[in-house]
Amino acid sequence: MAISLNKGGNVNLSKEAPNLENVLVGLGWDARATDGQDFDLDASIFMTKEDGKVSSDSYFIFYNQLKSPEGSVEHTGDNLTGAGEGDDESVHVTLSKVPAEIHRIVIVVTIHDAEARRQNFGQVSNAFVRLVNRDNNQEVVRFDLSEDYSTETAMTFGEIYRHGGDWKFKAVGQGYAGGLRALALQHGVNVG
Amino acid sequence: MDLQLGQRAKVADLVPNGQRFTLEVAIEAPRMVLDFACFGLDATGQLADERYMVFFNQPRSPCGGVALTTNQASGHGGGNAASFAIALDQLPASIERLTLTAALDGAGAMSRIGRGQVRVLDGGQERACFAFSGADFSAERALMLLEFYRKNGVWRAGALGQGFNGGLAALVEHFGGSVAAETPAAKPPQASEPAPIPRAPSSSAPPATPAVNLSKITLEKTGSTVSLEKQDNANFGEILINLKWRPVAAGAQKKGFFGSLMGGGKTDLDVGCLFEMNNSLKSAVQALGDTFGNYHQPPYIKLDADDRTGSSSEGENLRINGQYWSHLRRVLIYAFIYEGAPNWAEADAVIHIRTPGQPEIEVRLDSHRNDRPMCAIALLENHNGAVKITKRVEYFRGHKDMDEAYHWGLDWVRGRKD
Repeated sequence: MAISLNKGGNVNLSKEAPNLENVLVGLGWDARATDGQDFDLDASIFMTKEDGKVSSDSYFIFYNQLKSPEGSVEHTGDNLTGAGEGDDESVHVTLSKVPAEIHRIVIVVTIHDAEARRQNFGQVSNAFVRLVNRDNNQEVVRFDLSEDYSTETAMTFGEIYRHGGDWKFKAVGQGYAGGLRALALQHGVNVG
Repeated sequence: MDLQLGQRAKVADLVPNGQRFTLEVAIEAPRMVLDFACFGLDATGQLADERYMVFFNQPRSPCGGVALTTNQASGHGGGNAASFAIALDQLPASIERLTLTAALDGAGAMSRIGRGQVRVLDGGQERACFAFSGADFSAERALMLLEFYRKNGVWRAGALGQGFNGGLAALVEHFGGSVAAETPAAKPPQASEPAPIPRAPSSSAPPATPAVNLSKITLEKTGSTVSLEKQDNANFGEILINLKWRPVAAGAQKKGFFGSLMGGGKTDLDVGCLFEMNNSLKSAVQALGDTFGNYHQPPYIKLDADDRTGSSSEGENLRINGQYWSHLRRVLIYAFIYEGAPNWAEADAVIHIRTPGQPEIEVRLDSHRNDRPMCAIALLENHNGAVKITKRVEYFRGHKDMDEAYHWGLDWVRGRKD
């Protein structure tokens, strides 16, 4: 039985799912049912050091850079099947391969071209993030964001982080204006 | 509090009591007509109970939790406005969501509206305002403006500002209230079951699936009456009731929302009437059962011809001999779909009632019930010699139901046209 977190809640992954190694981070939202310009939502990952900044631009995993250098985090893109069914985008994380200096794997979702399209997360329904143990396809933890956002165009859904020798997951649900660019700058990415 | 597009908030943060407030919507829409509705939806966002679509034809939900209090279809300066009295605490637990909508009636697009706002008022005082304008939209013809929904037992509000190019029909479809979804396209026409003629017990009417009525009565509300004053010579001449409808070619490609109800085929729409004479003789005049009536003999009502396809430019005429109006007590004019699945929108039927020296009365069958093939259009009553005409436009499953509703007291048996 997966744990369902509220905003701000956290769970110790190492205790909840001992030997957790191959993690699927599934992200979902309901496609627009109404007419008008599509909502193009993108999932991205910031792999940050203790200071909250990426160790290099290579640790910003997004649609133009789907894999971290050592391969511990890999963005799988759309159209998943199997355990990923129901997820709109997903990211694979291999915990033991995450470099030691990386303390946090920050999971964000941004609305592409939100400003021009006059879109925000308040118009997106049923957004969620969930962690699945890929070795047994068990959902470990889930966070439904539906009420924890409003007019923002970028959201930190959650983060996987080191705590002592364990890995924990936190339901963040923090929104930002400014989209992916603002988030990338905040996490120390050199945005061109 | 100003609500931005997409913004969400707890109702209790907007209105002190968190339960009861007035929802007021006003949109500048020059030369456009907007219809407002408030939908009460279940947990899955569906209109499970069509009585929870509160709008011009249904101004109050059964529980009283939603009531349309004012509805200004088109006011000064092209303003469109409505207000709803909301009592969240009166809603049944099954209603999880209220969605305030605006839909264009007729041509236009939401990009062409001016400024608009939805205000939450508490005792006349503004507590929240969601402002928008045509720049927020494009080709939408129906919008979901503001919604209220239960979340973990707490009512919340959200400024949706999204909609559908397909207008109110698409909106209702989105809420699962679609008539199309409930009627298979290839449903055999009603005519394969012989339709009824008077004078013997009838078998049961086909089961009806309630359909949300999207149309409104524009010219006159149901129940409005016109009295034709008696002329000096106590003679109305001829009262002509003419039915015209749009011919539908066999196998024609159906378009649109209501069109999907029909898998092709033709519609045969008949005009007829129930009559009751002063001597208590009562029956029907209609093509079905070859009861065409008689102009010079009782009942002094005659059906001219039976237009089977709608292709006749004349349509179907029912004539009442005004010289003998004094012999008649009441006449109920109706139209029914003899052949083809009930599809009133497609048939686009219009009834004209013409009396010499009197303004012509037009009744458009625009308040459709596609599950019901019978429509009582107007009731003509003899009021001290004058003809009192009352618009009805009520839909029934068949002759028998209509008869019962009007207490005509005829027995009905299935009949068929040759």
